[in-house]
Amino acid sequence: MRVLDYEIPDKLYYSKEHEWVRIEEKEAVVGITDYAQKQLHEIVYVEVQKVGANIEQFQTMGTVESVKSVSDIFAPVSGKITKVNEELTESPELLNQDPYGRGWLARVNLKDFNKDLRKLMTAQQYADYIKGMEE
Amino acid sequence: MSEPLKKTHLYEFHKKTAKMTEFAGFEMPLWYKGIIPEHMAVRKSVGIFDITHMGRALITSAKSDAFLNYVTTNDVAALTPLSAHYSNMCNEQGGIKDDFVLSRLEQEKFLIVYNATNRTKDYEWLVKNAKPFDVKVEDVSDNIAMFAVQGPKAQETLQKVADLDLNKVERFKCGWTKLAGLEGFVSRTGYTGEDGFEVFVWNSPLTNPANAVKVWKAILEAGKEFGIEPCGLGARDTLRLEAGMCLYGNDIDETTTPLEAVLGFVVKLKKDNFIGKEVLTKQKTEGLKRKRVGLIMLEKGIPRPHYEVWKDSQKIGNVTSGTQSPVLKQGIAVAYVSVEHAAEGNKVAVKIRDRLSEAQIVKFPFYDPTKYGHGRQT
Repeated sequence: MRVLDYEIPDKLYYSKEHEWVRIEEKEAVVGITDYAQKQLHEIVYVEVQKVGANIEQFQTMGTVESVKSVSDIFAPVSGKITKVNEELTESPELLNQDPYGRGWLARVNLKDFNKDLRKLMTAQQYADYIKGMEE
Repeated sequence: MSEPLKKTHLYEFHKKTAKMTEFAGFEMPLWYKGIIPEHMAVRKSVGIFDITHMGRALITSAKSDAFLNYVTTNDVAALTPLSAHYSNMCNEQGGIKDDFVLSRLEQEKFLIVYNATNRTKDYEWLVKNAKPFDVKVEDVSDNIAMFAVQGPKAQETLQKVADLDLNKVERFKCGWTKLAGLEGFVSRTGYTGEDGFEVFVWNSPLTNPANAVKVWKAILEAGKEFGIEPCGLGARDTLRLEAGMCLYGNDIDETTTPLEAVLGFVVKLKKDNFIGKEVLTKQKTEGLKRKRVGLIMLEKGIPRPHYEVWKDSQKIGNVTSGTQSPVLKQGIAVAYVSVEHAAEGNKVAVKIRDRLSEAQIVKFPFYDPTKYGHGRQT
């Protein structure tokens, strides 16, 4: 769905810190939302923890930098990183251009998604959350 | 309770077209299209900035020279009418009160343009120190609009709205001119490293924005064929940083001296007494402990203010400004390091999130001055 100026794909889950989660069997693909990339604007650097690293839900899993600012990326789920998007090293602007596609950050082998899910939002809930913030 | 933010004449234009930010008590444009496209427009063609938030004061008296030579570090006697120079004001300890551009309008009349963040402080400092000199200091900040037109196409753009022949206005010279038919003043100065002008719309009180808006729109129209971009404070910062120019509050403040900041070229120690002279003379004789240098990252990563600079497992200084250079596409920084490690070419490390990333000390500007900036050869 599209809310205000922001794309919010239906089948993803969302965190309050503006990360998204797409479930693919035992793994999750994670990234930052359209809202996040529009707030950051002109992303010039991305750094995500290495493959093999254990991440905890809502703990820092990386950093994203625009020309002006440095922001933490908070893990939307807990688990072990199995793959990171190497393309972002040379082309961090993919986060601006295609936040839900080529701008994905990492794949995570999930620890306990049912537990994580309790603290995530559906697309509709996230849309309401964004609307609340923009008011 | 905090005061409501001040607005410049162009507020309605900015609000409609830019992402806004608070700066020095003003609501100002941060970017319109984006920092990178605005930055590159200035490096390759032309951009226009609303810099009305800066402080402006007129200094008038037969004793202006004596007063200004006492309160500032550069030699005012060297300024002929309709010329300008960069200078500093120091406190008694030699720390920088502010950096600014001073223009001599007439033999006994000067215009000083200082940082927005220091508007009240500078005005009060000038007034306080003017007392023994019988000098009139008049704050005209809210009566004059100020824009910067910067880039290799700045002259061609501005010439279309100015009746003064800009070929006759050399770098750091100024002149009176009609701007879109209105009374104006231009100086060939700026804060980007590029050729360009700072433009003053003389009778333009904040309460009546029409004149300022007219000149702004005329310049935008004149620059259309060159792809002019309105530029926000974001690009203003990345441009000045690439050029190696200081930002007050980051790279210089009352705890840094002009000598440490490598601004010694505006400190004339041979002058008669001026505020800070004693301490600066002593520092010059005894030598510096630290100095301002440029750093370029040899690895990926972006240096930011307050990051530590290391050499051989020892901390040698701190970053005061840093960004990703839009021209070089590498991290660049201004840092203060201890003098024994400050030599150009020296390899050091910047601590970015607990990791030491390799960097090298380089001279300013960061870009190749034969390809970019006012001295470009192409």
